[in-house]
Amino acid sequence: MIRKLYMKPFVREFLRILLAITISLGLGFIITLLVSDDPVGAYQAFLTGPLTRINRTGEWIKETITLTLLGLSVALVFKANLFSLGQEGQMLLGALVSGSISLFVPLPAILRIPLALIAAMVVGYLFGALPGYLKAHLNANEIVSTLMLNAIALRLYDYFLIFHIKPEGAGYNASDFFPKEGILPTFIPNVPFLAEAYELFSRRANITIMLYIAIAVVILTWYVMYRTPYGYELRMLGANSKFASYGGINTKKTIVLAFAVSGIVSGLAGAHLGMGIHEKLIANITIGIAFEGIVVALLARNNPIAVPFAALAYGYLRAGADIMERTSDVSREMVLVIQAIIILLVTAERVLPIIQQRVNAARANNNLSMNSEKPALEEGG
Amino acid sequence: MPAGGKPPAGYLMEVCVPPIIELKDIYKIYPNGVMANKGVDFSVNAGEIHALVGENGAGKSTLMKIIYGMEKPTEGKVFVEGVERHFNSSRDAIDAGIGMVHQNFMLVPSFTVAENIVLGQEPTKNGLLKKRQAIDETLQISQQYGLRVDPEAIVDTINVGMRQRVEILKALYRGANILILDEPTAVLTPQETQELFSAIRKLVDQGKTVVFITHKLREVKEVSDRVTVMRKGKAIGTLPTEEATRESLARMMVGREVLMRVDKPPSERGRKVMEVQNLSYVDETGRRVLNNVSFNIYAGEILGIAGVEGNGQTELVEILTGLRPATSGDALVNGNPVLNKTPREVRMAKVSHIPEDRLTNGLALEASINENLIVDRYFRSPFRKGTSIDYKTVRDFGAQSIKEYGILTPDGDLPVASLSGGNMQKVIVAREFTSDPELLIAAQPTRGIDVGATEFVREQLVQKRTEGTAVLLVSADLGEVMSLSDRIIAVYEGEITGVFPDAESLGEEELGLYMLGIKKQPAEEMEVLL
Amino acid sequence: MSFDVVLRSIFSAAFLASVLRISTPLILPALGGLITDLSGAINIALEGIMLVSAFTGVIVSAYSGSVGLGVIAGVISGILISYVLGWFHLHMKTDIILAGIAINILATGGTIFLLFVLTGDKGNSQSLASGTVPNIHLPFIQDIPFIGRVISGQHVFVWIAFLLTWLVAVYLYRTPWGSHLRAVGENPDAAETMGINVNRTRMIALLISGFLASFGGLTMSMAYLSFFQREMTAGRGFIALAAVYLGGRKPWGTLAAAILFGFADALSHQLGSLRVPSQLVQTIPYVVTILALVIYNLREQAIKRDRQRKFYEQQQAEMGSGGGL
Repeated sequence: MIRKLYMKPFVREFLRILLAITISLGLGFIITLLVSDDPVGAYQAFLTGPLTRINRTGEWIKETITLTLLGLSVALVFKANLFSLGQEGQMLLGALVSGSISLFVPLPAILRIPLALIAAMVVGYLFGALPGYLKAHLNANEIVSTLMLNAIALRLYDYFLIFHIKPEGAGYNASDFFPKEGILPTFIPNVPFLAEAYELFSRRANITIMLYIAIAVVILTWYVMYRTPYGYELRMLGANSKFASYGGINTKKTIVLAFAVSGIVSGLAGAHLGMGIHEKLIANITIGIAFEGIVVALLARNNPIAVPFAALAYGYLRAGADIMERTSDVSREMVLVIQAIIILLVTAERVLPIIQQRVNAARANNNLSMNSEKPALEEGG
Repeated sequence: MPAGGKPPAGYLMEVCVPPIIELKDIYKIYPNGVMANKGVDFSVNAGEIHALVGENGAGKSTLMKIIYGMEKPTEGKVFVEGVERHFNSSRDAIDAGIGMVHQNFMLVPSFTVAENIVLGQEPTKNGLLKKRQAIDETLQISQQYGLRVDPEAIVDTINVGMRQRVEILKALYRGANILILDEPTAVLTPQETQELFSAIRKLVDQGKTVVFITHKLREVKEVSDRVTVMRKGKAIGTLPTEEATRESLARMMVGREVLMRVDKPPSERGRKVMEVQNLSYVDETGRRVLNNVSFNIYAGEILGIAGVEGNGQTELVEILTGLRPATSGDALVNGNPVLNKTPREVRMAKVSHIPEDRLTNGLALEASINENLIVDRYFRSPFRKGTSIDYKTVRDFGAQSIKEYGILTPDGDLPVASLSGGNMQKVIVAREFTSDPELLIAAQPTRGIDVGATEFVREQLVQKRTEGTAVLLVSADLGEVMSLSDRIIAVYEGEITGVFPDAESLGEEELGLYMLGIKKQPAEEMEVLL
Repeated sequence: MSFDVVLRSIFSAAFLASVLRISTPLILPALGGLITDLSGAINIALEGIMLVSAFTGVIVSAYSGSVGLGVIAGVISGILISYVLGWFHLHMKTDIILAGIAINILATGGTIFLLFVLTGDKGNSQSLASGTVPNIHLPFIQDIPFIGRVISGQHVFVWIAFLLTWLVAVYLYRTPWGSHLRAVGENPDAAETMGINVNRTRMIALLISGFLASFGGLTMSMAYLSFFQREMTAGRGFIALAAVYLGGRKPWGTLAAAILFGFADALSHQLGSLRVPSQLVQTIPYVVTILALVIYNLREQAIKRDRQRKFYEQQQAEMGSGGGL
């Protein structure tokens, strides 16, 4: 019975990831032991911190929202068996465009906010489509091109921030705080019977309506991936690109779209950084989060429904690390060490067998008979 | 052109000198149970040119890989110059003086010819390469063996013939006394083939031994001293080439096919469905793969293509299904051009395709059976409703296909990887047959699947044809082509060598002569029958 | 701004000297990137390797009081971290890009973490007395007007960068090991059949890459600055990768591309002081790299097409005269 359960790929994947996280946390504790005067206290702060106060929980949830969007963005590309490191650039431009609209377009909130979000998505789409096009039509290495585009986006962001957005004469590189019409509203509506909760959250833990948007994007991504023709094309391309072209799928178009759709979601994540978290545009707005989508997508095995859970778990570690730093003598960067170990353990094929090996085995079994120079199976029975 | 009237080498030495290579009772069973060699005895005498012939899957390559240390025999012994050897890698074989030239060349494209030849054994001084010496040594062995190469040319820019000479020189540079050439002429033009042969003769004159694998009996007669024929994992016989005729070799190669009885109502030939006109294809390396191929396929008939693999069939099918661009020519389905269109456009013209390599093209292993069944139709009614795919319909369609085509699985949502080879093929057949094709292109439809599945697929093909579908059947299994087809085209080196309107009365030996390029129908005669 | 002022500042000796200084921590990791690229792997981890070396060099030099020991320790740490990358990639079969990302994260987090443990500061190591490598003043040459001011007085890593470029060129194109490395990158099967150990060759390439990148890191913390600063490599490892491609995957080309990046960076500083948006100037090398990628691939496609057409025409001509078989 247990053996049978273990054979289920889903269960196996889950165990694998659980094991990776456990090992990494264990190593994290060993490190804490070595450096801290109060290792237990520090680790306790790390592991329970996000739940101890409402504002801390708020930090965690906000982090989770960004991570969810980024994880979805990466999963959309990974699912097609492609690689993109371009989320940072797409986020930066998404933040820049949405932030500019929040700051400068004189519209009421009901129009300004949707306009800003849509603009972030459009710019993400375009900035994502570019490396996709280069990959599909010119076979240009997508890792190099997305890294280059990140560097370009970073400088464009800085340029607009410093020369056009930051207030005249300010000594720091940041915009003014967004006006109220440009900030995402709190996720609890300001209605009389919820007044107390509204008050609590808007003051102490300003989780915005991006929470709902993120949930909607999760469902939408799942729907697109598993229920639409486009998602079908994406998944078939990822499973076997030769099969996709043989079956009549336009693989080039699918590749471009995979990058572009991924860009939409990253653009939205960028808008969340400005309009939901910082409430202004700051230099290095994506610092520390640029490649985090990859970790989340890896933990979620590119399954959109699993992404928010992976983001919750991972966001919890990040938020916990912040709290550990504030309340103990261990710095938050320990979580980066844990994160690196998780990536290595989850991706190392030899740590635990994964589904790919099953497929490989099936391939090997059939291969001999398929290879033109090898004999037919019927001879062997 | 006979082999220069020279007596078979090694003839006199046989008494006192052991064969330079001797294999005794070789069995090779692959981990999946496939038995590639079944008790093969094979020996090569020093200083001879030994041809090894046989159809695809006869076990020639496996045998050569055993000699070259790339595979270990399951049973049996390998002797080199009378000493038993156990090779662990090709490195060991190279050290024992054996060199092999693979069909797909193992060259580094950006390196010069000389750099490729000395790779791994570069001449150096104080740790630095001596490029001049590499070039000189290349020139020297090039001249010694009459294998003309330009040592300083970049491999990427040289033609196939020279690439092959580089491969041979690579082996000679490493001190090979015994050279194995795996289908060396498959990629060469007739002129280059002649050059290769004179080079081979020169090598033998200088004391080398050459084993060469081929399908082409003309070449066997032309260049070899002795010939061994393999069929279905066994060595059928070895004889001096002068005692063999092309006809007798063809008979040994093809053997008696067990023709299965296929219940086949007489063909009712309908209108012309596909018309192929003067189709030619030259590949990236400059090889002319298809040469002015023209034929028609009619509704209600199975047109079989008989030929040894590698004579352009794979490319023909890929071109006709939109997976490969043609160089010139025309192809029409019901009057609509299908050449150089996308696979989707070809499919929309009511063409369906069973690909020859189901794992590479035909299936996505990680995807579910149901999803594999809809790759050609997910985007249209009834599978698409509005913006989404209606998975209820997909599942129903999957369940129906699984039942109708007898795919053995508990659930259509399982990945295709969970199926056996035969059931995988049924998934493809189910998909391609249910798309209501007017033309069905079936490449190697029963390769590597069990007897039951084979029978099923064949019955389905005949039924489709009886219902009025035009079928193009490409198969390396001659028995299959002969028993299923209504009309047969023989192909050899990318050209049609014969058309046989009445497949049933045709003998396999006769057909073999056309497949092996020994006979060719006059153009006028063919034209009428195409 | 006045165009004249810009031109004059660009061609000043001080400016060109600063280009060399700024380019050095790009040239060295770029050479490392080149070696791994030619062996058939993308080394995303250059950034992390540099950080680790920069950090180790400063710490060891501060605690031992010896700049030499610091440099040696920095180099060893860079090689070790490359070994970890190689072990996961080649032995554990981890995707090299994901493993590279993990190494970068580990390096970023690990260096800040240890910095805090050792100094109580998370920003930089200025509280530690670490050394810097010496500058080299060339007698006679320093008296030559202009040139003397450009090349004399540079720190030793500038010279090491040029020296290593030459050595890498020799290694890749003049030694059998370099030849094996390139063969493995282009056609591992061919290399394997010729008795070359593919995995070992790739591991060696990664280790050399770590060796080279570690000098880049040490340049940052023991020459360019005199202390370690958190995330001080600031994306140079990625720029280095771009230099490999822009440089046409050749040692001297990579050097030139890295200097071009350094030039753009120095120029943007110069322009920044003139109130010209330096950020826009800094994008130029990246845009050029993308264009180079595009042009390279377009050319490849054209070459393939031409070759096929040429073969076809050639054969048509032959058929016309010779009449086929």
